[in-house]
Amino acid sequence: MMRPSFGARMMLPALLLLAALSIFPFLFIVWMSFNDVSPIGGLSFDWVGLENWTNLFTDPDVRSSWGISAIYFVATVGLEMAIGIAVALLVHELIWGKNLAISLLLMPMFIAPVIVGLLGRFLVDPTYGLYAWVLNTTGLYTQNILGSKGPALVAVILMDVWEWTPLVTIIVLAGLASMPDEVLEAARVDGANYWQRLRLIVLPLISGIVIVALLIRSMDAIRYFDIIFITTNGGPADSTKIIPIRLYETAFRFFDLGYAAAIGLSMLAFSILVANLFLRMLARQGLAR
Amino acid sequence: MTKRGGRTWARQVVLYGLLALALIWTLVPIVWMVLSSFKSADDLLATTPKVVFAPTFEHYKGLFLGGNSLWGYVKNSLLASGISTIISVALACLAGYGLARSHFRGKQHLSFWIISTRMAPIAAVIVPLYMIFRTLNLLDSIAGLIIAYLTFNLPFAIWLMNAFFADLPVSLEEAAMIDGATRFQAFWRVALPLVTPGIVTTAILCLIFSWNDYAFAQTFSGPSSQTIPIAAAQLLTQTGIDWGKLTAIGTVVVLPMVVVGLAVRRWLVRGLTLGAVKGE
Amino acid sequence: MSGAGLAGASLLGLAGCGGESSQSSSSSGGMWKQYKGTTLNFISENTPPTAAIAANLKPFKDLTGIDVKVTQMELGALVEKVALDFGSGKGQYQIIYADPYQVLAPYYQGLAELNDFDDDDSLPSIPKGPGDFIPAQLDAAGKFVDNETLYALPYDAPTMIWMYRKDLFEKYGDQMKQDLGFDPMPSDSSTWDQYYQIAKWFNDNASEVKYGTGHQAKQYDSLMCDFSNILWAYGGDYFNNGNKVGRLGSDDPGPALLDQPKSLEGADFYNKLLGIAHPGSTSWDWSGVDEAFRAGNEIAMTPNWHEFAAGIETSKLGGKVGYAKLPKGPARTSDMYGGTGIGINNSASDDEQRAAWLFLVWATSPNSQRMELFSKAGGGTPTRQSVYHMPDVKKAEKRPSNAPNMLTADAVFKAWEPQNIGLRPKIKEWNKCDTIIFTEVSKMLAGDKSPEQAMKDAKEGFDRAIGSA
Repeated sequence: MMRPSFGARMMLPALLLLAALSIFPFLFIVWMSFNDVSPIGGLSFDWVGLENWTNLFTDPDVRSSWGISAIYFVATVGLEMAIGIAVALLVHELIWGKNLAISLLLMPMFIAPVIVGLLGRFLVDPTYGLYAWVLNTTGLYTQNILGSKGPALVAVILMDVWEWTPLVTIIVLAGLASMPDEVLEAARVDGANYWQRLRLIVLPLISGIVIVALLIRSMDAIRYFDIIFITTNGGPADSTKIIPIRLYETAFRFFDLGYAAAIGLSMLAFSILVANLFLRMLARQGLAR
Repeated sequence: MTKRGGRTWARQVVLYGLLALALIWTLVPIVWMVLSSFKSADDLLATTPKVVFAPTFEHYKGLFLGGNSLWGYVKNSLLASGISTIISVALACLAGYGLARSHFRGKQHLSFWIISTRMAPIAAVIVPLYMIFRTLNLLDSIAGLIIAYLTFNLPFAIWLMNAFFADLPVSLEEAAMIDGATRFQAFWRVALPLVTPGIVTTAILCLIFSWNDYAFAQTFSGPSSQTIPIAAAQLLTQTGIDWGKLTAIGTVVVLPMVVVGLAVRRWLVRGLTLGAVKGE
Repeated sequence: MSGAGLAGASLLGLAGCGGESSQSSSSSGGMWKQYKGTTLNFISENTPPTAAIAANLKPFKDLTGIDVKVTQMELGALVEKVALDFGSGKGQYQIIYADPYQVLAPYYQGLAELNDFDDDDSLPSIPKGPGDFIPAQLDAAGKFVDNETLYALPYDAPTMIWMYRKDLFEKYGDQMKQDLGFDPMPSDSSTWDQYYQIAKWFNDNASEVKYGTGHQAKQYDSLMCDFSNILWAYGGDYFNNGNKVGRLGSDDPGPALLDQPKSLEGADFYNKLLGIAHPGSTSWDWSGVDEAFRAGNEIAMTPNWHEFAAGIETSKLGGKVGYAKLPKGPARTSDMYGGTGIGINNSASDDEQRAAWLFLVWATSPNSQRMELFSKAGGGTPTRQSVYHMPDVKKAEKRPSNAPNMLTADAVFKAWEPQNIGLRPKIKEWNKCDTIIFTEVSKMLAGDKSPEQAMKDAKEGFDRAIGSA
């Protein structure tokens, strides 16, 4: 064997640590998914073969949670990308007050999701919530927000959008800042208006970084559940029970750890699929550049 | 800034009008949170929201002067997220550079494996991590939290640092090595300083992710290692939510972050500019 | 003798204001001091008695020299941590707040049997014996299936009662009587049907409040509690032999009865009642409905936990609220009991377990319960009969009261009578069944399902959960 290369030696410490942190838990979860696991008196395992996996594909509750997750995922990530990009383009055009505007717009992501969820509850509470009061007195919406099926889902989606749009904004803003000025100037000299420049030059130039933002948000949109956990915890009538909430409930309320492991692995598979898709898009962008 | 000819001020009105909308969306909850933290219990639950009220500091006093002072939680939060961030970024600088400068078959797969470790569903990894921590006696310790945070920060940091180094032209390091520098010196003296904005960005994002964590801290921390989000969740008691203290915690958490955000914003934006250096 | 030792030691503990820890001349003092220097972790739901205990640990430290670290959290988080702790077999938390349904029933094997400690001559025994605890509560909070084995000592006793705006009932009493044809003032003979009519009357006629009634009907544990009161009042039940399944618990409760006609009747009525309740109800858990009640202009009455009286009496509603047992239905009155015991982690070391026993005895002793009741940190609810006979406690039953929870005494004493107390099934699979019932009822309230369909689905869910376990 030859001596490990310079690159390998540089990577070694991090990769060893990462392997230690991830490989054992992964194998452990896979093992659990084939067992009936009970937490009494030290974990006990009872081999059940494929039972958890067949349950996974026949359980109507899990299926409905995937459906809600799909809506939640598309709505949160979609809105965050759209608003995040729009705000970044807007801020990029500002002449004065740019620094202050950015700092203020970034604030939500520094507040922990648990606190965001509680704050959201505080704002839409039917008794003393500011937003509930505004909607009520203006007559826009007079029912109970977190207690009605559609509005509850919209509310938790908007809380997530409030918290994480700034992450997209800042990443896209960075992409905009890195655009070579000459290209834009040339387009301007050619008489292209703002929308033409945006469509033909700016968006293609930042599409790579937009996909990075999309990837980061997507990974977390599948995993995170703090906001829903603290606001509706899946209700009313299961209308906000996204798949990580279902997983948490299966694992730590029912302590059906084997089944929870199977649900968790299916989520991991989905994440990997989505990430692969976006990375392929990223790679194409890279080649195009 | 390049000069922009033919800007009508109508355009500026539209721009700042839109900005105002974005700021309202972002800031109303925060301003309301800050205001509420100075309201008395009765004013907090007023059915017609009060904008004018007699301010009180009771919630802040309760947070910092009571038996269960918030300081302990702040300290734990800072230690756990700070140290995990430092470790993540330090190791990620090495690994990200190594990855960016190596060419081997399966590099893409390795890179994908790294980022895929960050996708593990939180509730699923809690059980195995709990068992590891129990064996290593890391439950209810800051060290345990640091390790838990490494599980999501390390892959993220490696991945981001790899992107920064990959965009750095090799020619600068090659020039240094022709002048007699070793490979490590080329990394340390040439490449690393050039990606400072990237390091700052990575660090800030790692800090946010660990600072905001609730699920891991809820499971792995104990009486002597609880963090700020846990303190917030504890206000959710059987007999009601202590909104005064909750909004006070929110205010205490967000205000320093604004200062930090203002201080590093320049770096943050430049850092995320993956292709910035190439363009210069 | 050791019971008397406690009385002496308690006095010593209360009187010894620091610096006197070496005074262990009496044998009982030595019994209390034997684990000096130990540190114990107590994990608890963040409830009023624990808030009171956490704020008043000094007497225990003075008495025993043991440090107790109290960790308080929301019940769901507690269940997760306790189960993981049992799973680790390490005993990180020696003293456990053992909710009878979410901790005791599924994980009783993780809890130490307390009889051994009580019988041990080298340890203090339960002052006045276990018989001083209110009998239904001792069984419900302390035992599982086996009548002889004690796993936890009754620690708190929140129970649902009828809270109403006495001021508004007095103001509108005559008018209501005329319109409705019965005396609206809550009494032993009030029925759920009357409750419905009163609520509707307030909806239509009173300007002080927006709605007559409000409920804790969020898709959560609270919804199960609120729904069960009515289910039982109408003669429905979760299982056969509901009283036994509720009080001692069962390994094998048999098939669920939720699809039976009487259960359906209860579900129908609940659906109807929630139809005229404050629309906020479907997002309120117990604290949400309590906040709405306290706000003053939202609702006129609510089935609420009696220990919330402490907060209500110190709010702007102080003195304006009346307390009664819940209305009765065609079958009975039932007032949901939500009490809990504290137990000892079986995985803790022997010495830690014995030290934890000292804490259990102290924390549930008459003096401590009295302290909790009067504490400004919250105001617990005694589980011992003798505490309710103490002169200053009896005095607090009347206004002005320095222990406002005692204003509910009339109502809760009736609620705790064996024929009235509402005991949900104490079975290992309860966490799953609880989720099934509150999810199905939530779907019913949202209009997704008819009451028949919801109850049928809940029954099938129960049978699956129990059959597969």
